[in-house]
Amino acid sequence: MLPLRWFARRLLLAATVVFGAANAVFFAFRLLPGDPVRSMLGSTNPTPELVEQVRHELALDEPLAVQYGRFMRRLFTGDLGESFQLQQPVGEVIGDQLWPTVQLATAAFALALLAAVTLAVLTAHRPRVRRIVSTLELVAASTPAFWTGMLLLALLSFRWKWFPAMGGSGAVGLVLPAVTLAAGLVGVFSQVLREEMERALEQPFVLTARARGSGETAIRLRHALRHGLIPLVTLAGWAMGALFGGAVVVESVFSRQGLGQVTAGAVAGRDLPVVTGMVLVSALAFALINLAVDVLYRIVDPRIDERSIG
Amino acid sequence: MSPRRHRTVIRRALLSAIALACVATGCGTGPGGGDGRDGRIVYAVDTQPDCLDPQISPYDVTAALGRNIFDSLVAMDADGRIGPWLATSWQISRDGRTYTFRLREGVRFHDGTALDAAAVKATLDHTVAPQTKSQYAAGLISMYTGATAVDARTVRVALSRPYAPLLQVLSTATFGIQSPTALRANRGRTCLKPVGSGPFVFAGWARNRRIELDRNPNYAWAPAGVDHQGPAWAAGLTVEFIPEAASRFGALSSGQVDVASAVPPSHTGRLRHADGFRLLRADQPGAPYTLLLNVNRAPLDDVRVRRALQRSVRLDALVKALYSGAYDRAWSTLTPATTGYAATTEGSWPYDPDEAARLLDEAGWTGRDEDGYRTKGGTRLTLHWPYMTSLMRDQRALLGQGIQAEAKRAGIDVRFTALEPGAYLEKALGRDADILAFSWNRAEPDIMRSYFDSGQTGDKGGSNAFGISDPRLDDWLREASATRDPARRAVLYAQAQSRVNQQVLALPVYAPATLVGAADRVRGVTFDVQAYPLFHDARLED
Repeated sequence: MLPLRWFARRLLLAATVVFGAANAVFFAFRLLPGDPVRSMLGSTNPTPELVEQVRHELALDEPLAVQYGRFMRRLFTGDLGESFQLQQPVGEVIGDQLWPTVQLATAAFALALLAAVTLAVLTAHRPRVRRIVSTLELVAASTPAFWTGMLLLALLSFRWKWFPAMGGSGAVGLVLPAVTLAAGLVGVFSQVLREEMERALEQPFVLTARARGSGETAIRLRHALRHGLIPLVTLAGWAMGALFGGAVVVESVFSRQGLGQVTAGAVAGRDLPVVTGMVLVSALAFALINLAVDVLYRIVDPRIDERSIG
Repeated sequence: MSPRRHRTVIRRALLSAIALACVATGCGTGPGGGDGRDGRIVYAVDTQPDCLDPQISPYDVTAALGRNIFDSLVAMDADGRIGPWLATSWQISRDGRTYTFRLREGVRFHDGTALDAAAVKATLDHTVAPQTKSQYAAGLISMYTGATAVDARTVRVALSRPYAPLLQVLSTATFGIQSPTALRANRGRTCLKPVGSGPFVFAGWARNRRIELDRNPNYAWAPAGVDHQGPAWAAGLTVEFIPEAASRFGALSSGQVDVASAVPPSHTGRLRHADGFRLLRADQPGAPYTLLLNVNRAPLDDVRVRRALQRSVRLDALVKALYSGAYDRAWSTLTPATTGYAATTEGSWPYDPDEAARLLDEAGWTGRDEDGYRTKGGTRLTLHWPYMTSLMRDQRALLGQGIQAEAKRAGIDVRFTALEPGAYLEKALGRDADILAFSWNRAEPDIMRSYFDSGQTGDKGGSNAFGISDPRLDDWLREASATRDPARRAVLYAQAQSRVNQQVLALPVYAPATLVGAADRVRGVTFDVQAYPLFHDARLED
């Protein structure tokens, strides 16, 4: 059903985004102050021979143009190089840790969506509850994940021992990290959702529905909610970034496996190949999610046709 | 598209989102608590090793975990004496350039390979091979020229120059002997598959989560000083990575782990007074956390200014306030736990603000600016002290601010600035700073040579960051590294330590200690001379 030309154009745009990210990371690393090889070898007083050897292996002793060509050539063959710190192919390092982060992000997203829908449906156009809930949402959205996580751990893990403090396999171990990560999203989701629902509730078709004898719950769920969901689809692209950024903190607080920890470790250790790989993977994920969002738009709101989308 | 169809799509999307979340999280499955440990000790550590090959990784955490996986040729006891381990005896040639080790019989690596001369040779060759990219170990045996298997149980190690600390070097976890079969088979992947002959066998590594070590059932060659011979008491060691100090401490206090590393000094008081827990503490040998001073540029090229700085910081109070007694202030560039430490340095440079003021006046820093800092010819007395946040464990950033505040009272403006690694290293290597500070864990006074020998500058892989060139120190430290007479070495190191203090080439601050928290049900966790925890004698009691 999707117009092919439209889809091809979107795909091309997504590829451009990834290509741009690749360029950005390539040049950003070369603009950083100091010698990247020394930074990578860190505080350990490397011998001059080792410094030169590593420089040569990473081809950092070649002219910039040659480095760039090599980088792009490797990129097109899907070769992300080898992690300097872990002495393991970058693809393997990332692939290994992808699943726990996908689990965490999916669970947090589902949780946030569920909570936001519930809150919005219950509080739209109900001023008294709305004020209280909306304040709470603001608090949740502005509390740092680190703090939320520590609080949850202190009570539910250290004191009452309902949940494991670290790692945690399966659903039980996922609860606290997912709740922590979702807490930051719920506020934003439900504020937007409620706003849209309230606008919908003022539309004439709601009056028509009421006149037809539909109950309040039915109106909210069947008519108003559907209107509210459209901007939420837009937010999904943003949420992807928030979830991934949040994972860095949440995975560290809850000692979970995942890409957040890989990123944090690679940045701290100046593991150039891994950082590059992570930037590319997140750019790719971003581009794909946004592509999916655009497709979803057309499904959720059939009024949008190819001419009105850029 | 009809409204009905439309609605179904949304409903289906929502349902599949929930279903996906369930698949992703395994709804309804998953084990609950942390019981049923089957005699395994759960040990929470703060950092994950980058690599478990002790000859590649420079980090303490690799050596500390590796100590339980690998054995070394010789062992150092708490008094700094070298005793047998995988080698039962050894001879050193008269010129100090050839070491011949006789190896223990019956030792097998975890993969079944027998320990022989070729295995020792393989580990040493692996250390110095360029493709290994050793970040620390190779530098320690830069004088190694090769090894020969005289017979299956005798290996001869040749050096390009005499090096007295060689046995200490070979006693460390950094020189744990690896299975030659594994080294060959796992070439390029030794980081992920460490195979040694130690009390624990590497059994798996879930990255960013845990490392599993199982008991080595055949272990029968522990060095002297252990509580028992034979296999470890515990069935295994589960090493959990919990980077956040508060999470790690909470996991210990709630019984989810048995032992936790890197207890923050501020938490030690709570642990001492808590029922059911103990604080295990081991002083670290080597160089304390030390401020290296740039003697090669103004204003610290003037010994009077250096001494004024030395005399104007109340280190006793500062270290006590910050570390609640968990660490002691330092008096020397060697920690008290190091062989060769000169106790005579204690109290030799007390806090003396009047002396500091006099020295600064004498050096011509007589003016004062509007902020109260001393000036000379209109220039403020300013010291630049860059640091890298990733190296600031133990609240060292706060400590630096404390020193900064103390210096301010003496009229010295210490600029204590956080830099990102690239910028920091550029300044450090370019000697574009007045102060740089770090500590170094090594059970050997030869660490002083790395800090103060004129040949050990940063660009050559040493720690002499500011290129201190003191002929007397060079002579003493080089002679001490070549002579094997313990009495002579003690004299030389004592002289060197007091000279560093007299010339104020560095300002030692505090002596770090390893702080480990343990539940009472765990008994027998001990420490090696580098203050790394050992689990061979550890057991869980009911």
